[in-house]
Amino acid sequence: MIIEEVLVWIGMIMVGVGAFADLVAAIGFNRFRNFYLRLHAATIGAIWGAFLPLIGASLLATGCYCLGEYRWFMAGGSLVTAILILILAPAGSHALARATHRAGIVPVEPCIVDHLDEKQCVSGGGSG
Amino acid sequence: MKRLVGLIVIILFILAFSLLLVVAGESIVPGRQVRWLARVYLNTSYNPWSPYFTVNSPESVTSVVWDYRGLDTVFETMVFYLAIIGSIALARGYRKYIPAKLDYSKLGLSIIVKTVTRITAPLIIIVAASIALHGHLTPGGGFQGGATGAVAPLLILIIFSQYYLIRRGVRKESMLIVRSLGLTGIGITAIAVFLAGLAADVHAYVLQNQAKATAPVSAPAYIDNQLISGTLWFFNIFEFFAVLAGFTIVLLLLTIPEKAYQDGGVK
Repeated sequence: MIIEEVLVWIGMIMVGVGAFADLVAAIGFNRFRNFYLRLHAATIGAIWGAFLPLIGASLLATGCYCLGEYRWFMAGGSLVTAILILILAPAGSHALARATHRAGIVPVEPCIVDHLDEKQCVSGGGSG
Repeated sequence: MKRLVGLIVIILFILAFSLLLVVAGESIVPGRQVRWLARVYLNTSYNPWSPYFTVNSPESVTSVVWDYRGLDTVFETMVFYLAIIGSIALARGYRKYIPAKLDYSKLGLSIIVKTVTRITAPLIIIVAASIALHGHLTPGGGFQGGATGAVAPLLILIIFSQYYLIRRGVRKESMLIVRSLGLTGIGITAIAVFLAGLAADVHAYVLQNQAKATAPVSAPAYIDNQLISGTLWFFNIFEFFAVLAGFTIVLLLLTIPEKAYQDGGVK
């Protein structure tokens, strides 16, 4: 009985962390100043804001006896969706960032080192 | 000025939409007097106790699409394939174009995206097949499954390049064969029960599924104790292959390089 309680609590904490991460990602997406930084905020939304709460929902459903047999469907569905997001979201953001860098339309800023193309590196950054 | 025009357009759109909602709420929302129709469909879709009215399928949408209004759906399928035939006819002038020296590993996106696609493309096909094969049990069906499955060739076209698909036999001609087989299957399924009725010398209809009071032949509702809902399962399978192949043809035609039209390429 105590294990179910713990599962429900861990799941609720993970969903809460996910909601907070989504808020942070949304703020960052609006406030960051160029493409790469905004992409970083978007991936925060994908991993911390979608993967983590889905795992949490899976644990929550597993520990919730009131759902009956159907809790396994919900837990399995959440788990599979979470794994798919874990695989697909980084690949998508990688493809976006790579295409942008190859097209060379966005300066890399703020930049410390850029091994792919030194010319795109804008060091310093400052407050833009 | 530009922003003002945009703002006015948005405000007008919202006003028009709310006006539409008000008008529609007054008159177009169906009243209680049509609910008996929905009740009839829900009661007869899967009802072993009224064998002359049931479709033997728990999914009423598929029952309506392929049984109650089956002829309508056949014509819908015809319209869709006329569109695909038109696009094939448009691309009639091109020849096969494959560059002489081609390093397949250099084409397409980076190896990270390719690896992820290698994992997910088979998963997409599996999900699409399950949508089609379970079309008579759960929401979905042949067209939905085929449209879902067409995402896999689209991903491969973009991420691995067109030549990757063509080298593996997914080319226009082979997809045409699959599509034609699917369409032939739909046609045969539509007249199968009618032909069985002819052979048994009893009354039967084209696009009939289960037995009716005046037409006692019916497609098998169960195979090996698994519910397949008569013709519905076959319709869904054939439609799945036909739609998947049709969408793949259109996607392949869309990604033909211009050179294939200009200098003919390799014949």
